[in-house]
Amino acid sequence: MRNLFQYVPGNSLIHRLNPITKIVLTIAICVAAFMTDNLIYLAALLGVDLAIGIIAGVPKKTLGILKGLLKIAAFLFILQALLTRRGTPVFWIVTDTGLLLAGKVVLRLVVVCMPLTLVLAVTRVSDLANALVQVVHVPYKYAFTLTTAIRFVPQFLEEMNDIMEAQTARGIEFDTRNSFKKLGMILPLCAPLLISSVRRSDQTAVAAEVRGFELRTSSSGYKRYPFRLCDLPAALLCAALIVLAALI
Amino acid sequence: MIKLENVSFAYAAAGPTVENLSFHVEKGEFVALLGANGAGKTTTVKLIDGLIKPTKGRVLVNGEDTAKTRVSRRARQVGFLFQNPDRQICKNTVREEIAFGLRAARGDLGEDGIKNRVEETLAAFHFTGEEEPFSLSRGQRQRVALASVLAVEPQILILDEPTTGLDYSECCHIMDTISRMNRDGQVTVVMVCHDMEVVLDYAQRALVMAGGRLLGDGPVGKIFRDRELMERASVLPPQITGLAMRLGEGFENADTAEELAAVVMRRREGRRKQA
Repeated sequence: MRNLFQYVPGNSLIHRLNPITKIVLTIAICVAAFMTDNLIYLAALLGVDLAIGIIAGVPKKTLGILKGLLKIAAFLFILQALLTRRGTPVFWIVTDTGLLLAGKVVLRLVVVCMPLTLVLAVTRVSDLANALVQVVHVPYKYAFTLTTAIRFVPQFLEEMNDIMEAQTARGIEFDTRNSFKKLGMILPLCAPLLISSVRRSDQTAVAAEVRGFELRTSSSGYKRYPFRLCDLPAALLCAALIVLAALI
Repeated sequence: MIKLENVSFAYAAAGPTVENLSFHVEKGEFVALLGANGAGKTTTVKLIDGLIKPTKGRVLVNGEDTAKTRVSRRARQVGFLFQNPDRQICKNTVREEIAFGLRAARGDLGEDGIKNRVEETLAAFHFTGEEEPFSLSRGQRQRVALASVLAVEPQILILDEPTTGLDYSECCHIMDTISRMNRDGQVTVVMVCHDMEVVLDYAQRALVMAGGRLLGDGPVGKIFRDRELMERASVLPPQITGLAMRLGEGFENADTAEELAAVVMRRREGRRKQA
């Protein structure tokens, strides 16, 4: 989980794509997933996600993300299947419509979440911010906020883990196997996590300011992000995904 | 009291962090773990508390295998003071903070017993109880964390760089409290520390580590005088030990400025008598 947003270096076709193309591809997959109501097309979109992961040379990470998402997906599937009242009962209170709806919800969740995490595995966060500033002309302040938020996620997870470790050492039963009990114990830990997060944010802001954060403009970066020939098939794929979603 | 038998541990993402570690700590000892960053000191103390389980060998605390018992159940026996007190503190007042730890580890005391213990601890650490922990200074927060650990009355106290970021008086306050309890026989201490002056002043025994292995084990003064060992572990002995070693013969047992001065005075007295 801690390595979820970690960049995996490489020279694959996906790595070489312009960061903006990768973002557009991600958005296209998300839009297509929300446009379609076809279970088979959603499964095909999942196939596209997996193919992107394999082409990018990060199959292990792709499967890791899928595995993590499947845990949430299983919970959502059960909830959706149990709560849908329409359709013919298949088993106990579960109906055929409920199963179909649960399948779609779960597939949509996985299809949407996978490219969002994959794009960070194949793009340096600094490239993402610089490309947003240079190509899309997003003010640097907002690009920095976005990338800092991404960078902070693994740090927060690590911090949370350390806090839980410290609390376990003083007798709080975080080493219990009862997940519900564990969930109830997390609430008091929000205070130390919040305090450390605010402190860290404050330190980051001060560090950025003393290094001339306000002086930075879109021309400050030395690296340029032109669109290349390899971005063309990716753009075509984006268009095809959305057109197919509209047609099916 | 603490026994490590051929213990090895490796984090999933890295190679072996601790390899074939064997030592034991007797009741009432004050042991310091020395070594450069990455030597495996914090891993070792986490292994002792059972926060991580050995991949090879076993760790016994009071005869119990840490791999077979839950850490939270051991909080009654083993107290752990972390380098960063903010990971431990989670309540709005010092009183609530101390009570929170007691309720978790000493439920056997009952609500009245816990209340009494909280008041005793507040008095011992000179807190009113109404202070907001997160508004206190770093040293004060470390004292709050220590107070809530010691309120439980653990038999073993593990300190992971307890004096980092503290000024001299805050450091002395924390270490004097721990040292007093250790001398009174209330607690056995295992400490990870990068401040060699603190180690010399408070610890009796030193374990020297490098690359996840134990290089040396012995009385603090003797360990600091072993030049080769200190070099291998990339540890610089305290200035007072360095000075005593430079002064040479006769200063072998002088570990404090007072002891050094006493040797000098004795020699001066001897010369005066000879003259």
